[in-house]
Amino acid sequence: MADPVKQGNGTPPVLQLLGVSKYFPGVIANEDVNLDVRPGEILGLLGENGAGKSTLMNVVTGIYQADAGEIILDGYGAEFATPQDAIRAGIGMVHQHFKLVPAFTVAENIHLGWSETPKRTSRAVLEARTRELSERFGFPVDPAARVETLSAGEQQRVEILRVLSREARLLILDEPTAVLTPQETRELFTALRAFRAKGNAVIIISHKLDEVMEITDRVTVLRAGRNVGTWATADCSPNMLAATMVGHDIQRQDLHARSGDAAPVSTAPVISLRDVTVRNDQNVVTLSDVTLDIFGGEIFGVAGVAGNGQRELTEILTGLITPSAGTILLDGQAAPSGAAAFAKAGVGHIPQDRLNSALAPSLGITDNMAVREYDRAPIGSGVLYRATEAHALAETIAEVADVTIPDFSMPVRNLSGGNQQRLVARREMRIARRLLVAAYPSRGLDIGAIASMHRYFASLRDEGVAVVIVSEDLGELLGLSDRIGVLCGGRMMAVLDSITADSEEIGLLMGGRTSGASVQTEALT
Amino acid sequence: MSRFQRFPTAPARRILVCRAIAILVSVIVVSLLLAMSGRNVGELAHLVLTSTIGSRFGLEDLALFMTPLLLTGGAVTVTRRMGLWNIGGEGQFYLGAAGAAGVGLFIHGPAILILPLMALAAMLCGMIWILLPALARAFADVNEIITTLLLNFVAGLLVYWLATGPWRDRVTGALASTERLPVSIPDLWGVVHWGFPLALLIVGGLAAIMSSTRWGYEVRISGASAGMARYAGMPVRVRIISAMLLSGALAALAGMFEVAGTVHRLQGGMADNFGYLGIVVAVLARGSCLAVIPAAFLMALILDVGIVLQTQQVAATVVLAITGLVLLLVAIADECAHYRVVTPATGRTVRKAS
Ligand SMILES: Nc1ncnc2c1ncn2[C@@H]1O[C@H](COP(=O)(O)OP(=O)(O)OP(=O)(O)O)[C@@H](O)[C@H]1O
Ligand SMILES: [Mg+2]
Repeated sequence: MADPVKQGNGTPPVLQLLGVSKYFPGVIANEDVNLDVRPGEILGLLGENGAGKSTLMNVVTGIYQADAGEIILDGYGAEFATPQDAIRAGIGMVHQHFKLVPAFTVAENIHLGWSETPKRTSRAVLEARTRELSERFGFPVDPAARVETLSAGEQQRVEILRVLSREARLLILDEPTAVLTPQETRELFTALRAFRAKGNAVIIISHKLDEVMEITDRVTVLRAGRNVGTWATADCSPNMLAATMVGHDIQRQDLHARSGDAAPVSTAPVISLRDVTVRNDQNVVTLSDVTLDIFGGEIFGVAGVAGNGQRELTEILTGLITPSAGTILLDGQAAPSGAAAFAKAGVGHIPQDRLNSALAPSLGITDNMAVREYDRAPIGSGVLYRATEAHALAETIAEVADVTIPDFSMPVRNLSGGNQQRLVARREMRIARRLLVAAYPSRGLDIGAIASMHRYFASLRDEGVAVVIVSEDLGELLGLSDRIGVLCGGRMMAVLDSITADSEEIGLLMGGRTSGASVQTEALT
Repeated sequence: MSRFQRFPTAPARRILVCRAIAILVSVIVVSLLLAMSGRNVGELAHLVLTSTIGSRFGLEDLALFMTPLLLTGGAVTVTRRMGLWNIGGEGQFYLGAAGAAGVGLFIHGPAILILPLMALAAMLCGMIWILLPALARAFADVNEIITTLLLNFVAGLLVYWLATGPWRDRVTGALASTERLPVSIPDLWGVVHWGFPLALLIVGGLAAIMSSTRWGYEVRISGASAGMARYAGMPVRVRIISAMLLSGALAALAGMFEVAGTVHRLQGGMADNFGYLGIVVAVLARGSCLAVIPAAFLMALILDVGIVLQTQQVAATVVLAITGLVLLLVAIADECAHYRVVTPATGRTVRKAS
């Protein structure tokens, strides 16, 4: 393990934190954290879920106030009462969950709450200004588009442009690549390098270690709210960073290997789609003629560039939408209708956007954990809902998910992003007797949590449950699944055996090209 | 250097303290205004105290005011849990009163049978009155605030017509009211009838329904996150309709209590804004069923104080003004409860960055 970098004597840091602590009731989010970031560098901030990364950055940008410690900006003590103060001082942050107004256009969002927005103005002026900003900073956006119609990557560009246009010299990005496609990630990194080249600084929070290795100059690791050390990225390796974050070495295991007493792959499919087509509200076909059998005891990976029918496929598999044409069979029978019936039949669902679709952000953790089991004993009995039993369930889930919760009535939005994900994942695994559908399950999780979730997926498989995993990470899919289906433009391009498939072939299929001979349409029949 | 900072959540205790201060401030403001208009505030205060909480008659009056407010406040709170507003408490109150009066006037029998029948008829009428807004909301996404509000005026006119037209009092020839109902809710304590403890019980029951039934849980989830309700496959439409029907029934029951316990006849204008004041009660209660009880008490107190002031030749509109003032200050107090003094970290010994 390399030594932490000595405090250099070169350029003074843009930002320096000295002994910063932040406490929440029952939680030490940060304690005695020292950190500095210099002009012209990209600093990675690493740590497990709940290590306090987001909180620390919220302290820097004035959303929270530190309980102890000092923030030093350009060599002078600084304190920010509000995020506006921070942005005026040149610190801009893009949050883990975006904070744009969905009903407003890009131009309106860029100019919202900005002192330089002209007092009297028109749509055309705002759009022209936005176009000009977008060219100046090299972040292409469509000024007239409404934010709710944009993809995650496009929304993120708007967020970044919004911050850059306010002349940020220090850009803080909280898990920016979690929602991006590999292509969008590359574009983001190019823009960040250009930003750095002008002598600006970036702090980037990420769980993806290869990206951290690629883009950062130095890394600072937090563990349980405390600073473990800072290293030059050149002296690090992904394994060493992982071990530093978790505090012990992480063993990689081969998850394809089934345990000795594993249930065999079922002969009859758990769920079958027959010529399933889905049209959206605009009557556009978003899923086209998909025929698919998924068997108990297998992990089925779904590859594809985001927005090619993944959402529709997961919603079909979990009963959230009904197909416009085609049929769905659950265990050979016509599937029941409605998400509740699917859940009751043993179908668990970890959706893409957990905070807003799998959780009620403003309600307590107990209420949120009970949602799958409130209609059965011991929580539900007759018409009753037993709050004490719900609380016990929440405690059980939190324990297996390895999330410490000071107060179960605390709104679930106060949990760290990764901890929300862990709780949802465990809640869904409990009910998945037949099928578990997980969309981007490792998004926002630290590597330790990803490893334990993958192990759990494998053990569900060994118990004979069918597992469907949607992911953009081919490595994850190849390492875990038995078969991989590739979606492009709403079509299931091919279903490949993951032992023989290679990422190049999958890449071609994702782009809509079929490479003839190697394509098998039904690997397991 | 310390300063105020806004926190995303406010603990209940802070809210209570801030609200107590708000109410104190509104008392001071009202006293100042009265003093400026040349009144003897000390004398008035004494009078107000003795004739509200300071005497038996005052307490009886308070309980009488509280009874309908508990129910209309509860009615609005039920819909708030679902993320909706029932602004139509006034109309459902009228319909409940009319339904109860219809049974009381035209069906004769022992009170033990007739009274429950009146209550049933009232709740049924209230539910019918809110059914259309509920269906429109559930199936066509029509804003329930407007539909429930507009129906209030229709209900008010309907009761006027009944009381002056087909059901008018032909015995004494009194104007604008039906004859006295043959049955009434028995009195419990002075003029306070059994409706008061019943209303308290109903609010308590409502709290229990909300916190410990599956229905209450589904309403809570659907109201807090439409996305999660869809994800869990909850019957959101059915929950919208059932929550609104329950709300209509509660407001209508307030009308039945009023007609059978206090007024004893159906007359135009008898809802006396109790439906609208229920909204105020629900806002003060911040969506909590149990908090409806103290909120209704506060509202009843304001009404009572207003009546005392009226006997002292203070204009009747003063009640509205005081209500507005209290609501405004309470809203400010709720916001203030989010702020706390924070002392930025300077106390710690700073380490040398060498
Ligand atoms: N407003 C809050 N109230 C109470 N506790 C909070 C609040 N915000 C954060 N926490 C707690 O502080 C701890 C650190 O959370 P933080 O969001 O900083 O983690 P993180 O390092 O960003 O994790 P992740 O990788 O999962 O996003 C967590 O235990 C979290 O539950
Ligand atoms: Mg975070």
